[in-house]
Amino acid sequence: MAAATHDAPAHPPTNTGVDNRKLLMWGFLASECLFFGSLIATYLIFRDESIIGPFPHDWVDINGTEHEGVLDIPLTSISTFVLLMSSVTMVLAVYGARIGRPQMMKVWLLATAVLGLGFLGFQAYEFVAFVDEGLTLGTNQFGASFFVLTGLHGTHVGVGVLVLLLTLLGSFRRNGLGPNAGDHVEIVGLYWHFVDIVWIIIFTVVYLIPSAPPPGVIEFF
Amino acid sequence: MSADSEHVAPAHHGPTVRQYLLIGLVLAIITVIEVWLSFSDIGAILVPALLIFSGIKFVIVVGWFMHLRYDSLFLTQLFVVGLVLGSGVLLSLITLFWTDASDIVGFN
Amino acid sequence: MATAAGTVETSAQGSVVWSWVTTVDHKRIGILYGVTGFLFFLVGGLEAMLIRTQLAVPNGDVIDADRFNQLFTMHALTMIFLALMPMAAAFFNYMIPLMIGARDVAFPRLNALSYWIYLFGGLLFTSSFIFGGAPDAGWFAYAPLTSTAYSPGSGMDFYVLAIIVLGISSMAAAFNFAVTIINMRAPGMTMLRLPVFAWMTLIVSFLLFTALPVITVALLELLFDRNYTTNFFSSSNGGDPLLWQHIFWVFGHPEVYILILPGMGIVSEVLPVFSRKPLFGYTAIVFAGMAIAVMGWTVWSHHMFTTGLGTVPQVVFTASTMAIAVPTGVKVFNWIATMYGGNIRFTTAMYFAVAFIALFTVGGISGVMHASPPVDTQQQDTYFIVAHIHYVLFGGAVMALFSGLYYWWPKMTGRLLGEGLGKLNFWLLFIGMNLTFFPMHFLGIAGMPRRIYTYDTGMGWDQWNMVATIGAYILALGILAFMLNVARTMRRPQTAPSNPWDAGTLEWATTSPPPEHDFDHIPIVLDRDPLWYDRDHNIEPQTGDPGHIHLPPPSYYPIIMAFGVLLLALGPLSHLALTALGAVVIVYSAWAWMLEPTD
Repeated sequence: MAAATHDAPAHPPTNTGVDNRKLLMWGFLASECLFFGSLIATYLIFRDESIIGPFPHDWVDINGTEHEGVLDIPLTSISTFVLLMSSVTMVLAVYGARIGRPQMMKVWLLATAVLGLGFLGFQAYEFVAFVDEGLTLGTNQFGASFFVLTGLHGTHVGVGVLVLLLTLLGSFRRNGLGPNAGDHVEIVGLYWHFVDIVWIIIFTVVYLIPSAPPPGVIEFF
Repeated sequence: MSADSEHVAPAHHGPTVRQYLLIGLVLAIITVIEVWLSFSDIGAILVPALLIFSGIKFVIVVGWFMHLRYDSLFLTQLFVVGLVLGSGVLLSLITLFWTDASDIVGFN
Repeated sequence: MATAAGTVETSAQGSVVWSWVTTVDHKRIGILYGVTGFLFFLVGGLEAMLIRTQLAVPNGDVIDADRFNQLFTMHALTMIFLALMPMAAAFFNYMIPLMIGARDVAFPRLNALSYWIYLFGGLLFTSSFIFGGAPDAGWFAYAPLTSTAYSPGSGMDFYVLAIIVLGISSMAAAFNFAVTIINMRAPGMTMLRLPVFAWMTLIVSFLLFTALPVITVALLELLFDRNYTTNFFSSSNGGDPLLWQHIFWVFGHPEVYILILPGMGIVSEVLPVFSRKPLFGYTAIVFAGMAIAVMGWTVWSHHMFTTGLGTVPQVVFTASTMAIAVPTGVKVFNWIATMYGGNIRFTTAMYFAVAFIALFTVGGISGVMHASPPVDTQQQDTYFIVAHIHYVLFGGAVMALFSGLYYWWPKMTGRLLGEGLGKLNFWLLFIGMNLTFFPMHFLGIAGMPRRIYTYDTGMGWDQWNMVATIGAYILALGILAFMLNVARTMRRPQTAPSNPWDAGTLEWATTSPPPEHDFDHIPIVLDRDPLWYDRDHNIEPQTGDPGHIHLPPPSYYPIIMAFGVLLLALGPLSHLALTALGAVVIVYSAWAWMLEPTD
């Protein structure tokens, strides 16, 4: 067993010039496209197949009565904005790591984690509100596919927050994140941005694009 | 694919802090426009418009924040493979399961 | 066995078991995969023997219906996920770094993690027999049979969780091999100088990490349907059982190419060596492999021709399925052209490789028949499909794996497997395989359905079922012959030279078995089949003191993290507190892993 404890040599040569771990992360993100693509497909297939309410957007039933949808678009716009801004703080953290300013990196890492937690807070609030209005996993197809899709996305955000905090913790060690701090933080950043762009799609597809229940539905609770 | 090994470039060109903040502002503005559109009555153009705007945000984040514009082309190709397959699965499944009012028997 | 000059770090001295538990050496991980995979192969084979014994005669009463359903389900799952894929992984692990002139994979600890997750996942899966019953709804688990209404036991929960766990193992390995092959090739090893086996490994890695996420989604949705009140796949509340089929087969079809491409890679290595000719049409074979991988994404609904897809989808999938025969045919013709005019050496490895071509082609022909929906309407769910499956998977993948075993055994162990027993092994498997599976074509045409635990006499099925069972017992004897060959061989001293077959690829440039650091000097590659090129151009191998060679140190975090993954999966089967505990274990081991010194 080797005795010395210095970090592995920075940037060992690779055939493509791309660091192995960065290549790994991009491969992983490519695979995540398949994961979320299948989940969004399930959502789109089932969104308008609920035979009872609650439904996502405002709708009119067979008797001409107007009903409200459960989605709160203004509120979710704010949480979308929060997540978007966390991508900005993330690039600032990477920038700080790259130019050798660990304080800048730490501040923006923390900011990103806080914004991520904020987003999760909004999600949790939304989930609870929906349950109060009668929408659960088992209520209808919208409920099932909505909670699974956004729940799994939220889990990804949660893992990201955890990784951000652990990275931040690691930067308080004696030699911080080591000579490859820029690489480490950049790779974490790639994951974080990806989670953000998945939300960009989900926000548009789930919240902004209007939907309607099957014709002839009368809302039951 | 190069036959020789290359050292990873230690420093990279990329956006400055100012540019990052500007990009963030652009993303925020696009989001505001999207939300505003969704509350306006613009008819059938809404869905394509929303998809285009989201697509623009997607490309901006991937190209600039995730640095693909400045990195090895191979990474873009790798990600595009995932994107194409994921979109393909999505579109195929939606097409195979597409239903509308005409599928409901006996409703008039 | 030569030892390297210069200062070379060796693994910690300590208990042998501990050195295997903490190993990050790709060669040892390859052996772990190979031994574990072979043991599970025996388990799957035992399940098959029980099935065939039950079906030998009409109205058999060896196995009851319920147990029979578990057996055919687990036979398929064990063979696919616990035997075939891991045995291919054994060769990926052992050979890829050697073939590309690297000293290990890109992420050695991640590599070890893949193995331990596989082992725990396999044990989880198999333990289902004891804990309330194994999954029994077929390996493709169609809804709504898999709902709690029709599968009330925990078998299907084992199915969901074990496959997710095994998927994580395969994904990690896929990323590892893709990065390794793309980024860690020796100087001069361009992509078009890569051995075909390395190309197939790369392609399979891409297929794995793109297809596995899709089935993960389906499995999660099934898990939620069974345990958390959703209705994705039951039509009562607006769900759709057909969605399961689609999502499953979007994964399932690339999966069968994942199963066969490694074997095609192995055969592409073996044939040239024992024909004493370079591979014919290297570029065509490589691009055909890529074409198969890409086109494999467009054919999945040919598994669903009898579900009422509609005319347009049926036509589309018929066309794409028939089209995929083309790149496969390209490969077959190039393999034959490799042998043509060559100076053939009839070793056991060569026997298996040639048999692969013939038997896989037979399976391919029945496959093209299924590609036509009207024909498939009769064949679907009959033994005709079972015949097809086993010609491509046994006649194909398994024969190719045996070819690889006989070919690479000296490299891995320093001993050559006996040729006499090897030929016996081969003929028993070849005869047994054809005797078992060819009659299934007749049974299928005669209308015998799949997945029935018994049948009445007078259906016209008695005779061929008996023949198939006899064939299965001959297969078992063939496997015993192999095990006997191994037992005898391993008692002999390690006398195999570096390159007993006079092969051309880089794994033969080092000793048999290789030292821990693989190569004293990283080779410089000037052409495909570098050893043949160097020999023909009188280029001497590098000599001299290799100096200090850094090897990644052993680590126990992979096995700890794998245990955390197992705990994650056990939660839904017992208490969700286990999932929480598993998450904690994973986070802790990830943290320690990142902080661990890597020199």
